[in-house]
Amino acid sequence: MQRIKKFFTSKQMVTVVWVLGIMVLWEIGAFIVAGTKRSPENVLPHLYQIVQSVFSTKLVNGSQTAFQIVLSNAGLTLFRAGIGFLIGAGIGFLLALLMNLVMPIEKIVFPYLMVIQMIPILGMAPIILAITKDINKSRIVIAAILTFYPVATNTLAGFKSVEKEKHELMHSIAATKYEIYTKLLIPSSIPYLFTGLKISAPMAITASILVDTLQGGGGLGCMLSQSLKHAMTIYVFWQIVFFSAIVGILSYYLMSLIEKAVSPYKRIHK
Amino acid sequence: MNIAAGTKLEPEIIIDDLTVVFPSNNGGDPIKALKNINLEIGQGEFISLVGPSGCGKTTLLRTIADLQNPTTGSISIRGLTPKQIRMEKKFGIVFQSPVLYDWRTVRRNVCMPMEIKGLPKKHRTARVTEMLEMVGLYKFGKQYPHELSGGMQQRVGIARALAIDPEILLMDEPFSALDEFTKEKLHEDLLNIWRQTKKTIVFVTHNIQEAVFLSDRVVVLSPHPGRVSAVIDVNIPRPRALSIKRSAEFNALVAEVRSSFEGV
Repeated sequence: MQRIKKFFTSKQMVTVVWVLGIMVLWEIGAFIVAGTKRSPENVLPHLYQIVQSVFSTKLVNGSQTAFQIVLSNAGLTLFRAGIGFLIGAGIGFLLALLMNLVMPIEKIVFPYLMVIQMIPILGMAPIILAITKDINKSRIVIAAILTFYPVATNTLAGFKSVEKEKHELMHSIAATKYEIYTKLLIPSSIPYLFTGLKISAPMAITASILVDTLQGGGGLGCMLSQSLKHAMTIYVFWQIVFFSAIVGILSYYLMSLIEKAVSPYKRIHK
Repeated sequence: MNIAAGTKLEPEIIIDDLTVVFPSNNGGDPIKALKNINLEIGQGEFISLVGPSGCGKTTLLRTIADLQNPTTGSISIRGLTPKQIRMEKKFGIVFQSPVLYDWRTVRRNVCMPMEIKGLPKKHRTARVTEMLEMVGLYKFGKQYPHELSGGMQQRVGIARALAIDPEILLMDEPFSALDEFTKEKLHEDLLNIWRQTKKTIVFVTHNIQEAVFLSDRVVVLSPHPGRVSAVIDVNIPRPRALSIKRSAEFNALVAEVRSSFEGV
């Protein structure tokens, strides 16, 4: 009894209710659409139809089923998102270090960082493409650009959040700047760094898909736009929608897992 | 160890006409935190700085620790400036909060100052064990700070401060956040540690009983501007048991300190 009660108030239960709620709403919408639109699968198909299409063995482009198309292109997109994410996270962290080390750099650089963040990806893509002259490189660059900002700002906040007494302790034993960073500031900023990584990991994936749509050469975004233009079954589109949502959530949890692995002291907390 | 008993100690810290002024940050008059402080602290002496809030006791401690610069006057420690002593890593500081690094185990927290001092690993390991045994936390070495009670965390802070074998232990209201029982236990422990290590201890507190129980001398500071209003010798023989808190002698001294408070 106690266990049942615990389950119903648990975090898992919240998730279950939340997912079921969305499914119910979706299905209500699908029923309405099915009764009013001529090709309802273009607007809102039933969930079972999407699931069916995943397991369908029908070849949609002559050699692959819809799900095989999604998987083979996902590899490309996620690879580019991953590389961009790693580069962006690295640059973001270094930038935070630099901004914290040299006050004027923060004052000079920070406004530009915000401006870069405010340019829409679709506006930025042609500029990056003109610079890199390669669509695949620019996809990676754009994933990196979207990644570095949350990482840089959060890590910087982490450096700045260290209590005065901790600085004074280091000062009182005449620690060098290098020691203050390696033994105090960087370890303290780890939870903040991961907050940044958790925000930017799904963003890198979304950005990567979006930039895929701009040109050919494979990737989830390419397939997505082809599917929308009816070059192949619309269910490729729906599968990609769900697939990228799931991968985005998984990327968040991957960051949480890595965080737990690198910070054992927090594991006992939760 | 008793100054009034006639065993005049070699002065370790000489505070000479020290004044510390903080510039006001909203355009008003600058704040005189300390004014013309003269004080000598003997080698191996346990001295307490007491006073109401705003009397500058913490500022005085911070100036000794080179965390605050004097405006005029000077502090000399064994003939050197506080900065020179700090660069030699001869200070151990214990703050009001334990200031432990939550990503480090208890052992590695105690170890941290020795890493900065560049001591060899073998020496560090032995010393950490020795320190943790001294504060009675040897069994908790592999725990993380948040798994420990407040009193235990403060002990880790003391062990860490003593790990590099400092000449002077500076303590800024280290027990004020603890409950009465934990506090009394730590008082006894601190006196034992002091007896074993023979450090000079400068102890800031606003608790008169605590100051009288622990110290050789109690320095009473008065606020606005912070200045020394009384220096009271505590002639209670050592080792002191908790039971002395009920003695007439102890209570007379507490009353004497309190009256110099009220004269402020």
